Amino acid sequence: MCPHTSLKQQFLKKWIMGLQRCSFSKKNMSILERKKTIKLSADIAMASARNGTTRWSRALISNASKDGSDNRLVQQILGPDSNTPAVATTTNKARTRRASVCKKIVKRSHQIRRRRRKCVAAAPVKAVTSSISKHLVRKRTQVLKTLIPGGEFMDEICLIEETLDYITSLRVQVDVMRSVASACFSQS
Amino acid sequence: MELNAGTAGTGSLKTASERDEVAALESLQFTDEIRRLMSAPATDNASSFTALLELPAPQAVQLIHSPDSAKLIAAPPPAPNVDDFKGSFNFPFNSGLIERATRFSLFAGDGNINDNNKSNSPEPTSYNSSANLQKPVKSEPTETESYQPLVSDPTVENRSTKRKDREKVKGSTKKSKTGAKDSSDDAQKLPYVHVRARRGQATDSHSLAERARREKINARMKLLQELVPGCSKISGTALVLDEIINHVQSLQRQVEFLSMRLAAVNPRIDFNLDSVFTAESGSLMDSNFSGMVMPMMLPEVQLNGNRQQYPQQLHFDAFQQPVWGTEEVCNNYITPENSLLSYDSSGNSASLHSNQLKMEL
Repeated sequence: MCPHTSLKQQFLKKWIMGLQRCSFSKKNMSILERKKTIKLSADIAMASARNGTTRWSRALISNASKDGSDNRLVQQILGPDSNTPAVATTTNKARTRRASVCKKIVKRSHQIRRRRRKCVAAAPVKAVTSSISKHLVRKRTQVLKTLIPGGEFMDEICLIEETLDYITSLRVQVDVMRSVASACFSQS
Repeated sequence: MELNAGTAGTGSLKTASERDEVAALESLQFTDEIRRLMSAPATDNASSFTALLELPAPQAVQLIHSPDSAKLIAAPPPAPNVDDFKGSFNFPFNSGLIERATRFSLFAGDGNINDNNKSNSPEPTSYNSSANLQKPVKSEPTETESYQPLVSDPTVENRSTKRKDREKVKGSTKKSKTGAKDSSDDAQKLPYVHVRARRGQATDSHSLAERARREKINARMKLLQELVPGCSKISGTALVLDEIINHVQSLQRQVEFLSMRLAAVNPRIDFNLDSVFTAESGSLMDSNFSGMVMPMMLPEVQLNGNRQQYPQQLHFDAFQQPVWGTEEVCNNYITPENSLLSYDSSGNSASLHSNQLKMEL
């Protein structure tokens, strides 16, 4: 995948760096701790490869730096060049939360108005099917919001854009990790 | 009527400003064509298509080129459709816009264009003016721009009054306009989009805004469909979203599984450094995928060969120095990569990686 080459290099470099930094802290770790650290460093590397341009990356880093146990790891991984986007994310989140709340209120009022109009005008069958499909779509967007980091605060348009970016980043991550894992395994 | 007089004045003002903007734009390949189109008399009553295609707002086109899409790899720039107040003319600059352009039928209207005082039938005025007058007020929520509603309102009114003949366009036509202003030159901000109601559809401002929003969402959903394998055949938003959710979940699960696998391989976390590289120097040469880990490994081999007591956990800063310092020796090891790998000073690790990955991919 030629267009992702630079992203892969970036990710790999940051991941290895992060792992090296983490390995200083503890000598003996259980397998679960190791797995957690590996995954965390991979996620942070992926997110920092975006340089704070996308919301999911900022949300991921800020979520990781929130709890105390992972915070140290995150600081170690990000290291001296850590541009803490924590402040940015809080304001971003607050802003989007407020925006989403206002949008919800407006949307609800529209829906009420539209429902009133629909009862009069639309054919009952069409209204029912459209409402069912809307319900399904809304359910799925809720699920998608839980999947994408920081997705609960995004509106639909942003959510879809972030999903696009997130999927490509995940693919890069999986590719790199898989090749490293197979390289590790082929020797043992 | 004072309305017509006002429209005449603002119409000419608009063309003048647009002409300035055309002259300013270099990047458009359509610039010559646009100039040709513009040289067609703007005030004639010709009902030709070319006369209608006056200058499409070049700022919007410029915005399409603008780097606001830099953040997303695959997402199209969220530019509004290019238009002027005469006709709709979509520039398909990239695939996202091409799709939209094919969807929004080109406006091939008739009737007069510009500042001519045509008698306004009250019906289209009420049909459109209310819709379009409210549109500037209720702009796209995500686009905040440097537009001046005062100036654009009369232009909107101007457009709406000329719409009477445009209703005769067959099929449903969708016109979207950009309120182009000189101050909206900064390519970061997008002007708001005027959206015209289709035939036979509700024209209140709420549904117009809803429709614009839905168009945006549909455009992005199309991109997602192309990205996720197996989604392009599916129709229906709910099913497509299902597939997308499944894909994201499977990718996340793969990451978890791979990280568990990596953790299980080696008791130490910095497995890459020692065990993988030293042991695999031979076997990895042939395999394809390993290209990316190899050159990192080679200096490792050298390193471990030179300094037996090198600590197992390498500090990266110290790591960098000796690694890239032993380049010359490593070149002898693997001949196929000799041409590809360009070992440089320590600052060039990025190029190193790029070569490795090119071999791999």
